[in-house]
Amino acid sequence: MRRLRGHVSVSTASAFGLCAVLFLIATIHSSGFASGGNVRQLLVFSAFIGFAALGQTVVVLSGGLDLSVPWLMAFGGIQLSHWAGDGLPGGVAIALVVLAGALIGLVNGIGVAWLRLPPIIMTLAMGGLIQAYLLSLGVLNSGDSGVPHAAEAAASDRIGPVPVVAVVWLVVAVAIGIVLARSAAGRRVYAVGANDEVARLSGIDVGRVRLAAYALSGASAAFAGVILAGYVGSTYLDIGAPYLFASIAAVIVGGASIMGGRGTYWGTVAGALTLTVLSAMLPLFHLSDAGLKVVYGVVILAGVWLSQSGGALVARLRQRPSSPTTASPEVKSVEP
Amino acid sequence: MSTASPPLDAAPRGARLSLPRIPLGTAATALLLLVLFVVDLNVQPGLWDLDQLGMLVQTALPLVFVAAAQTLALLVRGIDLSVGGVFAIANTMTAVWVGADGGWPMLVVVLLAGLAAGAVNGLLISYLSFQPFIATLGTWTAYSGIALMILSTDGGMVPTVLSDMLYQSWLGIPSSFWIVLIAFLLWRILRASRFGHQLLAVGDDEERARLNGTPVRRVRLIVYALAGACAAAGGIMLAGVTSTGSPTSGDAYILLSISAVVIGGTSLAGGRGGFGLSLMGVFSLTLISDIVTGANLDVWVSVAASALLLLAMVTIRALADRRTARSAA
Repeated sequence: MRRLRGHVSVSTASAFGLCAVLFLIATIHSSGFASGGNVRQLLVFSAFIGFAALGQTVVVLSGGLDLSVPWLMAFGGIQLSHWAGDGLPGGVAIALVVLAGALIGLVNGIGVAWLRLPPIIMTLAMGGLIQAYLLSLGVLNSGDSGVPHAAEAAASDRIGPVPVVAVVWLVVAVAIGIVLARSAAGRRVYAVGANDEVARLSGIDVGRVRLAAYALSGASAAFAGVILAGYVGSTYLDIGAPYLFASIAAVIVGGASIMGGRGTYWGTVAGALTLTVLSAMLPLFHLSDAGLKVVYGVVILAGVWLSQSGGALVARLRQRPSSPTTASPEVKSVEP
Repeated sequence: MSTASPPLDAAPRGARLSLPRIPLGTAATALLLLVLFVVDLNVQPGLWDLDQLGMLVQTALPLVFVAAAQTLALLVRGIDLSVGGVFAIANTMTAVWVGADGGWPMLVVVLLAGLAAGAVNGLLISYLSFQPFIATLGTWTAYSGIALMILSTDGGMVPTVLSDMLYQSWLGIPSSFWIVLIAFLLWRILRASRFGHQLLAVGDDEERARLNGTPVRRVRLIVYALAGACAAAGGIMLAGVTSTGSPTSGDAYILLSISAVVIGGTSLAGGRGGFGLSLMGVFSLTLISDIVTGANLDVWVSVAASALLLLAMVTIRALADRRTARSAA
């Protein structure tokens, strides 16, 4: 068990390391990269990915996957504009949207946990249903009546030099980190992801863990949609599209196993920062949009390879001098 | 004598096992397709004309080939998200590099480029032990970038031989029917070959296949390479149908191909299904959107119906599987 935890912290640390190295390279290349304004901007952009990937992390840890995240984000923005347009106060509308997101996520959970549908299919179909619903709402009236002021404030206000979003993100990250690492609920998530049959036999209500994971994903993705809409100042159907890739990439660059049972939310935080720093620094090197995408893809594969093979390698090296029984970690590293 | 009897015994038993299982799933999907077709005939009476029907099949051609790619990946218990990127590379190569005067040999080179892109996926998955989902998520982004390098915005010229071929008829039957038929026959040949058996064996039970001496890694590598070639064929088809190239055209086909293949009945758990089923899935989705267009309904109806169909088919199969598992236990 301790070996496992050591492994996790190594891959989380290597994700933060990768992010720091990238940031350093960008700063050396052009010193403006480390300016207060730019760092603030990076933090806000990272927070969008961080919230989109929050529930995704827990879903992946529990052995699932949520492909409906981009549509949940679009829902967050568009539904908010509609409810605010109907005269609801901004804060109430935001709370209702997040709650509605949780309910949509709950339906995902019901499909996966009770009907035992493959997560990819259930969440793919849910994405289609959300898309259909948003299309049926019709086009929003143009003009800035759309996004309520509360959402814009949430995305752009600051406490001193720090954006509010970043502070909220930090608080949420600490809370999720504690829940996952220290609480019984967190242990259940890891147990279900590692082996749901074993988890069931040891008395864990596997279905309830899954329901909670998908509901959390629905809520966090809807909230990410709210602050993204607040930042952009308008909403449109494809607003969440880049976050299908980003929310999953942040989780796996952060060292989580896509098969479940291994990873941390802090790893995802590092993954979100890495993705943001990477896409902000590549234009500095005069890469076109096209070259940027190629490098983005390659770096993500390299990052995943580093955090998985690198983590296993470090764990094995660390093991070697202390104990002669190297057989089990070697077998483990060959298996995937 | 006793050594001679098992093989004699084994052949009919294998046939008996596979016979009742396939018609059940296939019959349900075929019935669905038939119902949708009848509804569409009522909504769009023009479809009684073979040429009109040929045009409908033509609009489905890109998805047919991407679904073929996705079927291959799902059969070995994988998934291919990079089909969107490979599709875009082939689509833009056809419109820019092959150009209006290009001939068939150059289109074959485009297919080979798709094969190579797919082989990279295969190498990552087979030899570097990447999860298929992650490997193809990364290469999808990288390949989309390459497509943008080839062509930054929609445009270009598509070879006239390609668009002419797509709008021709042979023996009175529109070429789109022939293309689907040839694709299906190629799949049947692949399926019957030794490689086809290895492919299904790897998807069914990788460990047992390995013990039986199947070169699991090489089979996977070839499967993903073939998937790349199929996705490239899809990109070429879209270029031919629309007479233009688009670097972002592939992304829509990623999730659509997974939907089509799963509606058809190929299992995400590997080893079960095939391209014939995927064809039925593709045409079900095509008919749904044609019905919605013909009945002058809003777009959202088509999106919702496709999603509900996916959910319904998967739920029915999951319940049926559970009943089989319960009765077996």
